[in-house]
Amino acid sequence: MESAKADEKLQMFFDGELSPQEEAELRRELEGSTENMAELRQWEQMREAMHGAAAEWTAKLDSDALFARIEAEVSAPELPSEVERAPVELRVVPGGRERRIWGGLATGFAAAAAIFLAVLAWPEEPGTTPLQMARGTEVVAVDFGANAGTVFEVEGGAGQPLAVIWIDDEEMGMP
Amino acid sequence: MRRRRRSLVVTMLLGAWLYSGVASAQQTSLARSDRDATSSVPAEVLVVLAKEEEGKIDPQLKKLTALRRPPFNSFRSMKILSKPKLTLTPGKDEIVSLPNGRRLKLTLLRVMPDGRYKVRAAINRPNKSDYLPLLQVVASAGDPFFVAGQSYQGGTLVVGVTVDPQKTSK
Repeated sequence: MESAKADEKLQMFFDGELSPQEEAELRRELEGSTENMAELRQWEQMREAMHGAAAEWTAKLDSDALFARIEAEVSAPELPSEVERAPVELRVVPGGRERRIWGGLATGFAAAAAIFLAVLAWPEEPGTTPLQMARGTEVVAVDFGANAGTVFEVEGGAGQPLAVIWIDDEEMGMP
Repeated sequence: MRRRRRSLVVTMLLGAWLYSGVASAQQTSLARSDRDATSSVPAEVLVVLAKEEEGKIDPQLKKLTALRRPPFNSFRSMKILSKPKLTLTPGKDEIVSLPNGRRLKLTLLRVMPDGRYKVRAAINRPNKSDYLPLLQVVASAGDPFFVAGQSYQGGTLVVGVTVDPQKTSK
């Protein structure tokens, strides 16, 4: 248990995680321990070897090309896989239904308005409206003077009443 | 929610546009009616000599089916003597000379609310009132009224008057 604590403290010293006071105490202890000093030197060699390998790998790496590839992938449109498309379509359905509902309402309203305007503008059939019933001609006042006369009503080609004023007349003998 | 609100606005705008169209049409119709009441109207006078003797019926009269019905059905021949066209102006007398020396005087009195024309007519010799002193008729556009009974050359004059804005006066 003591050995484990000592290894952990030594590891923390190597990583620079000890407080200055703890570090000073451990340095005094390590001066009398060749075994711990040897272990520290091995760790240092391993760390330097890892740093060297990392430096060599990063030197070979084309960072510009790497960032260009990352940017291209980030800015490219997202192409969901077939598996991912199904849930996306399911999420879109409510919106589509809402558009269809409002589109249907708007279409229905426009159709009703068109029918309303068509009824207003539609030419009336003969005899079906008060306006058509007012067709034809009629006598509202007549003065036959000294002659005898009769007012007739004759049917026109469209069935409308046409006024006929017939006045008896003597042969005038005029040219 | 935003889309719904936008659809509502579009629907309201569409409704407002339609309402304004109908209101505009009604105003236009009223304006046209008012304008017609003060404008001139073409008219046509048809002077026909009808006889009970067998003869020809002028082909132009075949479309006037009213002339084949009582009291005109006793005539076996009909000839158009004249067909003058004129323009009726409200309050202004228009004179048409008839072959028997009488004169037909026509006056457009007014345009009725239903679009028909109120016309005054009189048939007399100059400065006399011996035949038809006064006649007032309400006529719809294109429908004639007839004044018949004057004797002339062994037959009877049938005078038809048609007020028709579609006809061109000469």
